[in-house]
Amino acid sequence: MKKLLILALVCLLAVAFTVSCKPKAKQVAPPPPPPQAKEQPKVEKVEPPAVVKKPELSEEELFLSKSLEQINREKPLQTIQFDYDKYFIRDDAKFQLESDAAWLKKFRTVKVLIEGHCDERGTEDYNLALGEKRAKSAFDYLVSLGIPAERMKTISYGKSQPLDLGHDENAWQKNRRAQFLVIEK
Amino acid sequence: MRLKKLRTGAAMILAAAALLAPQQEFKMVIRDGMPAISFALPKFAAASPPVQTAADEIHQVLTDDLKYSRIFQLLPKSYYDYIRAIDPKAIQFKDWESVQANLLFTGEAAEAEGGETAFIRNLYDVKSQRPILIPKRYQAKKADLRFLAHRMADEIMKAYGEKPVFESKIAFVSNRDGNLELYRMDYDGANQERLTFTKWEDKSPSWSPDGNMIAHTSYINYSAGLYISQIYEGRRIAVSTRGGNFSPCWSPDGKKLAFMSTMDGNAEIYVADIDDDALKRGAFRIKRLTFNPGIDTAPTWSPTGRQLAFVSDRSGTPQIYTMDAEGSNVTKVSFGDSTHHDSPAWSPAGDRIVYVARVDNVFDLYVLDLRSLQIQRLTESNARNESPSWSPDGRHIVFTSNMRGGLQLFLIDYDGAGLRQLTTKGQNNWPDWSY
Repeated sequence: MKKLLILALVCLLAVAFTVSCKPKAKQVAPPPPPPQAKEQPKVEKVEPPAVVKKPELSEEELFLSKSLEQINREKPLQTIQFDYDKYFIRDDAKFQLESDAAWLKKFRTVKVLIEGHCDERGTEDYNLALGEKRAKSAFDYLVSLGIPAERMKTISYGKSQPLDLGHDENAWQKNRRAQFLVIEK
Repeated sequence: MRLKKLRTGAAMILAAAALLAPQQEFKMVIRDGMPAISFALPKFAAASPPVQTAADEIHQVLTDDLKYSRIFQLLPKSYYDYIRAIDPKAIQFKDWESVQANLLFTGEAAEAEGGETAFIRNLYDVKSQRPILIPKRYQAKKADLRFLAHRMADEIMKAYGEKPVFESKIAFVSNRDGNLELYRMDYDGANQERLTFTKWEDKSPSWSPDGNMIAHTSYINYSAGLYISQIYEGRRIAVSTRGGNFSPCWSPDGKKLAFMSTMDGNAEIYVADIDDDALKRGAFRIKRLTFNPGIDTAPTWSPTGRQLAFVSDRSGTPQIYTMDAEGSNVTKVSFGDSTHHDSPAWSPAGDRIVYVARVDNVFDLYVLDLRSLQIQRLTESNARNESPSWSPDGRHIVFTSNMRGGLQLFLIDYDGAGLRQLTTKGQNNWPDWSY
């Protein structure tokens, strides 16, 4: 029994020795033959990380993300027109101001400048006063539609900023106007 | 440009009587229609050849000033050939009498220290052979010879009981450097000089009577505020920034500033009290003068400061009204409501009002003579002529016109003579002639 045990131990040692010696033997062995062409490597597809889905922007958030210049370029508020030498709000302008009021109610943080403009048929000083009256008429009408006065400012540019440089009624009508500039959002 | 008297019964008759009724607003001066005084201005001498150029420059500017005065008639050039050349040390007054000269002006330029030019002048009454002005010696840098000539011309004006004109300045607005800024220039268009350097738009300047300040509108932070700029100190003082504030006009005594404002919601006329304390603190007592739901604007003071003329649309179209300095006695003085009457300016002597009458897109300047109650049309160019402002002596008017294309500034005499263009660079507007 003892002999048998020793033999087994020796065998085990011998096996262990050959195993431990094998790498050394391999180093001196010739390089393995190149893989044969028909043996395709297994392809591992790498996917990008899963796309994060942005939450849908609300209309207000979308609005707030824009710059003031961008907002004004989109002209969200309609320009209204006036009769020659007059500053009352015409019926067509009332409709426009109602839609302007709706927009202002939607975006409650917005502050606007209402600019009064005139056609060239008036002296500089008189047209500055006339422009003031036109801006004020628009202001008053928007207040009557529930827009707080603190959200609006008025200014007159008289005849200094015509939209149309022509000298006929068509041009003059375009220039007799109150227009909006968003100055805060 | 033709001078044209309006037919009686024409659409526009200013109720001049209403202006004159409460108090005599002008002092009677006999001057119009008097023959001009014949003025001899022989070539100036030069103590050394290099200063002859300076002598000639002074001569040229003085010649232009005196021609413009409409008081003096310069002796025709050819007359100088009929008589002996002048010898300042031995003036032959009989010679000058023979060519009908009333006045004789002599001058000599010399070199002075520091490369400056000295100039000695004399002014004689030919008949009495006596000097009218005490002989005087002036000195100036070469670049300032124009001012030297203007100074002498103004002294001659004063000697004849006239207000000096030639050293006065015209403030105006121009976009020549890209933005609407305030500028000033000499009466003849020389020395155009920028006064404001902001990104804000500036409009409607009005000189203080002492010439040290200009009241004006500036668009700052989306607000058209009224400011006073002390131009020699580089200081700007806010007068009113509530609402829109436009069309300032300084009272002749310098103590009040009338302007239009919407500070209470509507376009009304207000008056701010101006004194050193208010200017120092930047706090002004402001009084409202008009109470009308329509437009009230473009105030202008009478020379006594007792009345204001202004424009209102209370009758349906812009028309000219007057009121007392406290806002009472509002009187409509222009009639014919299909014609718009606008931009009044009271002459310094109080005897005339220049204003703009417009039908549709044609604006012309008219002058109402308060003595004769005659209305004279000054411009007739099928253009827009506006923003008239009087020269200190009341003989000339500066105004804006598009008669030659863009907006430029022009001069014209009170009777429609002497039209001349002052500006060419950029668009120019809102002239105000200093006191």
